[in-house]
Amino acid sequence: MAKAMPEKTGLKNAAPMALVVHPDVGVITSLQSALADKGYVTIVARDLAMALLAITQHYFQVAIVSSRLEEGGDGWPLAGVLHLVFPHAFVSVTSPGEPDVLTLQAAINHGVREIYRESMPAPEIVGSITKQLEDARPAGKRPKVQ
Amino acid sequence: MHSEQRSLLLVDDESSILQTLRMVFEQQGYQVVTAQSCAEAVELLTNGHTFDAVVTDLNMEKEDIGLEVARAALRIKPKPAVVICTGFASVSNSRAALDLGVDYMAHKPVELEGLIAALNKLLSRRSDSGRRK
Repeated sequence: MAKAMPEKTGLKNAAPMALVVHPDVGVITSLQSALADKGYVTIVARDLAMALLAITQHYFQVAIVSSRLEEGGDGWPLAGVLHLVFPHAFVSVTSPGEPDVLTLQAAINHGVREIYRESMPAPEIVGSITKQLEDARPAGKRPKVQ
Repeated sequence: MHSEQRSLLLVDDESSILQTLRMVFEQQGYQVVTAQSCAEAVELLTNGHTFDAVVTDLNMEKEDIGLEVARAALRIKPKPAVVICTGFASVSNSRAALDLGVDYMAHKPVELEGLIAALNKLLSRRSDSGRRK
């Protein structure tokens, strides 16, 4: 469910924001906690409708979307929408099992930056995202996240 | 609508594919430059030529060498839209393409309408994003 958040969350000095979209509350909680440890304010959604609502209300730097929301594969178009709306955001997808060729192709064609296995611990997923964001930034422009 | 003609580098070692794609994209209003090898494409990309988009085959002189074209293209500023077309996608080369930041991957035989639509979408997004800056 999307949380109510204060306005102007896209301001430069505001904490970076993350969107987590997953049908499993347990997974959401773990990712939210790991993101909070890295200084992110996290908005969570359990379904497509709430995710779309959150997109209209906030500016996200990071998104983690399950490839399966209500049925297999329906998370991919949402990831594509996130990339379209927030072209500079790190959009990632969690998927069951090792990604095959079609999954990797779906990631490329939807603007997804990384695919993570569903079974991967949340701190590892978030650690990988923050590391890739750090690596992508010039030395003088590192974000103020832990 | 985009007022200026968009430039496109097409890279494929099969001249029939290259000529077909050239004809198709010129009809779509693109200014097309072609290269028949990775080496030729990389030379164009590293010698000051800029393109709005690069569409490259994957297997040419060597297996997966199209990734080198993508790598060279993605170093250019402003970054062109990079599309890989291949009949030999594998987990390894698809993973490499994802890690590089390739914008679109199409399987051969390429569905032309899909490729044109994908390229137009990528370029519209770029010009839109440029206008917002």
